[in-house]
Amino acid sequence: MNFVIPDFTPAVPEMVLLALASFILIADTFWSERYKYATYYATQASLVIVGLLILFSFTSETAVTFNESFVRDAFADVLKLFIILVSIGVFLFSKEYLQNHDFYKGEFFTLGLFAILGMFVMVSAYNFITLFVGLEIMSLAMYAMIAMQRDSAKATEAAMKYFVLGALATGLLLYGLSMIYGATGTLTIPEVKAVIEAGKANSTVLAFGVVFIVIGLGFKLGAVPFHMWVPDVYDGAPTAVTLFIAAAPKIAAFAIVYRLLVDGMPGLVVDWQQLLIIMAILSMVIGTVIALAQTNFKRLLAYSGIAHIGFLLLGFIAATPEGYSAAMFYVLVYAITSVAAFGMILALGRKGMEFDQIKDFAGLNKRNPWLAAMMLIIMFSMAGVPPFIGFYAKLVVLEEVIAAGFTWLAIIGVVTAIAGAFYYLRVIKVMYFDAPEQDTPLPASTRELSVGVSVYSLSLLVLGIMPAWLMAVAYNSLLM
Amino acid sequence: MSLLAFNLPIVALLPFAGAALAAWASKINRVASAWTAAAITILALAFLAPSMHLPFQGETLVQSWAWMPAIGLDFAFRLDGLALLFALLILVIGLLIIIYARYYLSNKDSMGRFYAYMMMFMGSMLGIVLSENLIQLVVFWELTSLSSFLLISYWQHRKDARHGARMALAITGAGGLALLGGVLILGNIVGSYNLTDVLAAGDMIRAHELYVPILVLILLGVFTKSAQFPFHFWLPHAMAAPTPVSAYLHSATMVKAGIFLLARFFPALSGTPEWMWLVGGAGLITFMIGAYTALFKHDLKGLLAYSTISHLGLITLLFGFGTQLAAVAALFHIINHATFKASLFMVAGIIDHETGSRDMRKLSGLMKYMPHTAILAMVAAAAMAGVPLLNGFLSKEMFFEQAVFAAETNAWAWLLPVLVTIAAIFSVAYSLRFIHDVFFGGEPKDLPKTPHEPPRFMKIPVDLLVVICLAVGIIPMFTVAPILAVAAAGTLQGVPPEYSLSIWHGFNLPLMMSILALILGVGVYFIRHKLFAIHAKLFERLDARVVYHAILNNTLAFALKITRGFDKGSLQNAAVWIIGASVIAGAIGFMSSSASLFGSREMLPVDPVTLVAAVALMIATVMTVVWHAQRLVSLITLGVIGLVIALGFVKFSAPDLALTQLSVEIVTIVLLLLALYFLPQKTPKEIGRFRIGRDAVIALLSGIGATLLTLAVLTRDFAPISEYFLENSVPGGGGTNVVNVILVDFRGIDTLGEIVVLALAGLGIYAMLQGMKLPAPNKDIYGRFWDTDNHPVIMQTLTRLLLPLMLLVAVFIFLRGHNLPGGGFIAGLIAAVAIIVQYLSNGIAWTGERLKTDMHWVIGFGLLIGTGTGIVSMMIGFPFLTSSFTYITWPVVGKFEVASAIAFDIGVFLVVVGATVLSLVQLGRLSNASHAPHQNSIPAKKQEAK
Repeated sequence: MNFVIPDFTPAVPEMVLLALASFILIADTFWSERYKYATYYATQASLVIVGLLILFSFTSETAVTFNESFVRDAFADVLKLFIILVSIGVFLFSKEYLQNHDFYKGEFFTLGLFAILGMFVMVSAYNFITLFVGLEIMSLAMYAMIAMQRDSAKATEAAMKYFVLGALATGLLLYGLSMIYGATGTLTIPEVKAVIEAGKANSTVLAFGVVFIVIGLGFKLGAVPFHMWVPDVYDGAPTAVTLFIAAAPKIAAFAIVYRLLVDGMPGLVVDWQQLLIIMAILSMVIGTVIALAQTNFKRLLAYSGIAHIGFLLLGFIAATPEGYSAAMFYVLVYAITSVAAFGMILALGRKGMEFDQIKDFAGLNKRNPWLAAMMLIIMFSMAGVPPFIGFYAKLVVLEEVIAAGFTWLAIIGVVTAIAGAFYYLRVIKVMYFDAPEQDTPLPASTRELSVGVSVYSLSLLVLGIMPAWLMAVAYNSLLM
Repeated sequence: MSLLAFNLPIVALLPFAGAALAAWASKINRVASAWTAAAITILALAFLAPSMHLPFQGETLVQSWAWMPAIGLDFAFRLDGLALLFALLILVIGLLIIIYARYYLSNKDSMGRFYAYMMMFMGSMLGIVLSENLIQLVVFWELTSLSSFLLISYWQHRKDARHGARMALAITGAGGLALLGGVLILGNIVGSYNLTDVLAAGDMIRAHELYVPILVLILLGVFTKSAQFPFHFWLPHAMAAPTPVSAYLHSATMVKAGIFLLARFFPALSGTPEWMWLVGGAGLITFMIGAYTALFKHDLKGLLAYSTISHLGLITLLFGFGTQLAAVAALFHIINHATFKASLFMVAGIIDHETGSRDMRKLSGLMKYMPHTAILAMVAAAAMAGVPLLNGFLSKEMFFEQAVFAAETNAWAWLLPVLVTIAAIFSVAYSLRFIHDVFFGGEPKDLPKTPHEPPRFMKIPVDLLVVICLAVGIIPMFTVAPILAVAAAGTLQGVPPEYSLSIWHGFNLPLMMSILALILGVGVYFIRHKLFAIHAKLFERLDARVVYHAILNNTLAFALKITRGFDKGSLQNAAVWIIGASVIAGAIGFMSSSASLFGSREMLPVDPVTLVAAVALMIATVMTVVWHAQRLVSLITLGVIGLVIALGFVKFSAPDLALTQLSVEIVTIVLLLLALYFLPQKTPKEIGRFRIGRDAVIALLSGIGATLLTLAVLTRDFAPISEYFLENSVPGGGGTNVVNVILVDFRGIDTLGEIVVLALAGLGIYAMLQGMKLPAPNKDIYGRFWDTDNHPVIMQTLTRLLLPLMLLVAVFIFLRGHNLPGGGFIAGLIAAVAIIVQYLSNGIAWTGERLKTDMHWVIGFGLLIGTGTGIVSMMIGFPFLTSSFTYITWPVVGKFEVASAIAFDIGVFLVVVGATVLSLVQLGRLSNASHAPHQNSIPAKKQEAK
């Protein structure tokens, strides 16, 4: 039996990343004590290399390889670049955090690299199996990362919950995928689309398949009612890991939602739209309402993140190319904002003292006016107040969902955004107006963190003043 | 390029640059930032000047650039009459305030910060009034909320300032989001966010089914910003700001932004009953509440705050009438209110500054100390009261006229003139109080400072404004008429109606109302002390802020309640939600689907074997659940499930799968047993009866759902991919065992990858567990010690006999693998189990001595062979892993097929054996290590007895 050697070129970034990650994994055991931070620098270097590789080989052409199971298009490249962009910041912040909290381990970075590899595969998946493999590479690495702080009961519990629920949700997703396969007889996403559109597939089975797929995706996105893991994991995991989980994986989750629902099953739009509407409303309302009652800042961000996912889903509900672009814009903005917000917790924390309660921020303006100002930007951006970029994210999503005729959904969105503004304002109020417990100045724990957080925060303002660039990226990569 | 092509954005953005400049200038000296701010304002006016004539010629200047081309948004500015009027108000009054504030602020206050915020605010306001693009307007709108927040909280050390600022930001910021919603819908139905298009599409908008949502959302923005009922309560609390800020924000700018929007959307949204009721109703209520409450405020700024609310209500009410004449009257009153209210706030600031108090119960008789200021105050207050020959009188007359006119439209509308007259009476009364309480009536009592006239430049801005009040009031035709006409044209987007600005209209009903209000107002003022007492008794506690806090607290309580329901942090709870939601979603899908659930395929008859197997499966499953607390027992029942599944594969003619399943099952159970050994043997019981019931229901439902779905798939025809492999197995791979051919041939490269993973996993387990010691229990749950005899003799003997037999089976399975069930993978597992059994029964030390082969090498060889077969085919010119086969005839055995794939299979075999043995033995060591302390604790004689 002869083998046809597949075209490897579209997957070169993934292969390079895999090789580098494997190399670092092995090398880390030898580097350990003498060159303690070699792993970190090698990790950042790998990300830069892969990023440049993608950037310089960027074309708007679509290339498909490995028996139509892997695709490289503008959409994939843009998302991968953003995953890298976000992750570089994540690793920078994490290194400082791990150092400060005395549990610097090379595993964090190698696991992180493998998770990123998983995200890449998810983004480029053109076949159910590829997609699933990518998802699992990412998820397994993340389970391990959460549990890395082995002596922390809270982190272990979080990892356990995430693992069990994640396995359940993955099972449901797999169940759904297998039903779609049963109905269409193919695993390849464009073929699935063709069979469904030709009306050859059995509609009942398809409908059930969609239900289970959407449930699985809802879990990965953290949409209500499949969101239970989000607050516990965000809260329980070491903050550096939370930072990782909250940012890039959302981009990857967005990508598989797009690949499965939009690329694969546009013919079933009526089915998945209904489910997404329910999930979006629940996420926006419940995420917002529960966030109001939080006193822990990480949990607050978790619930506000759930509400943001609700907004993101609005873009999919619009079910137009512009709507998907708006959702893409939203997820990119959300990822950048998350890095800034969690980075702030890292920057202000100290060994033995996590800076993760809202009351910790009391009087921050007196103790560190610069970081308080950065936090102000982050909170306003999350609340969707101009001229920060978060406003434009809400703007485009709302606009597209109105254009698609779901005015009532947009109104629910606006109402929850208004209610949501209150809890962001509360943080600002606490920072600027409440009396601090101690009056001592509170510099960022390291200069790198201070600079890093400032760069990400100020980018929210700069992008907000000039939103056209990022918007063009999101729109062009889907509409090209 | 002419200045007319780009001057508008410069006007709007210049103050932002000025903000940075002013902050920087404060480093030079305190006054420099004030002069910088003033210079920037004058510069902005200069940039506006070249295009000022255009609105007078009936032209609208629009300047636009592409902003967010992806969603078709432009960065667009517009100058028409309305925009011009507001831009001038913002810049001119802004300039006066800047001069005034230079003298108002004390040495302790940071000038740079003040002027930076001030300029930011000015820029945002200019942005609102000059925007052509609605989204851009909303952006500037929210910027005014932010910058006013900074201005109100300027005195951060004061609690009321922080509180007031936060409330103002919460209310107006939220209103801004509502406005965004409204504007988005509006833009969507018009098809453009440009004002030019929106204003031209009034009829279409009013007829649209989404008109009411749009109106409500936009009005939410307007009412919150302009402090209209029921959102009026934030404004008095914002009075904690420095007085120049109040003078600017609450006369000409911030609160007028809402009013501006009413005027801006007047052609597009007005003229419907909804508009009339919502806008007019809110305006009327605000007008009355403000006028009434103002009288009872003892704080000078409090009085002015409520009077501002009241006048804003008046303007809103005028717009609510929806007629063109009313709109003109509203515009006129906007101008007048801005002038007299700015001067009154500045007077209040002077009094505060020079006496140290704003409490009207303490202030009195200031006429003697500051006559100049007193006269200014009197003129401005008279204008506020609507005294003839002042500007306030003219617009109030127009307002009364409109109220009387509106009264003819409805049977109950006669109430309207009555109500507005009552409100006007109170206006007169509080205006009188402002003058009489402060400047007359005996000597002031215990003031912190001795009052005297303020510095000259604090008075000059007030002088100017008061002169405007007089000039407009006496000679309106020569002062305000042109700008009013052009603003009216801009508002109405057309030719304004006929209206008269003359002072004398004859003796008519509006004049009667004015006179009545003046006389009764004086009367009310003189019985004020009685009214204060009544008010204190009835309404003192009635504060909308209480409602605001109640809403906040209730929302929070509600949020906590929801949180308790959802955020339990319990894994089971989360799982229930996920499974429950899946069941519900599936059920909904089932019910809403029109097609039948089941397909057309006939069901096969049930044979006894299958039935027994199914029943066994069910019983074992149930037993696993029931006995889950006893972990070892439930593990055994779990094994039963695995066994039945393996038998199921046999039944459906997949012996290969069955063998694999069986081997994997055994290895996993062994692994699990090893792991469980270190854990408590019993799960604590902590579930209540309710939970068990709930979980049973959910389990049952999801079981039924899964069954139905399986049936749905099974009852339909389906072309499996196995056809291809069945057809190509012999011609392509030379084997009749399809599974094996797939593994070692068709999907050879996948298998190669898999064995690499397996090898790595084995090595990984080995490395991770090396040197690890785990404390294991040395008693079972009943407190009995584990048997110390780890290696019973009978078992040792039997297993030693079994070893060659099992290895023989492994070889047999391996060799026949290509054609019959078997193959390297299964053979590897069998061989591994054979070796593991030796370790188990004879102990690691004993077996290790006899089996010296290092499993690392076995794994390595396996991988080498697997890869080697691939490379060989490459060397002889075929692609990687290409296989070929031939047949040889052996004595005794007969015809035998030799495929290059068989070499590959050897690799698989070796890796499986190596990895499995390596990891399991290492796990076994773990338990050995843990047993050592226990053996020491056993009494010595027991050891001997053994």
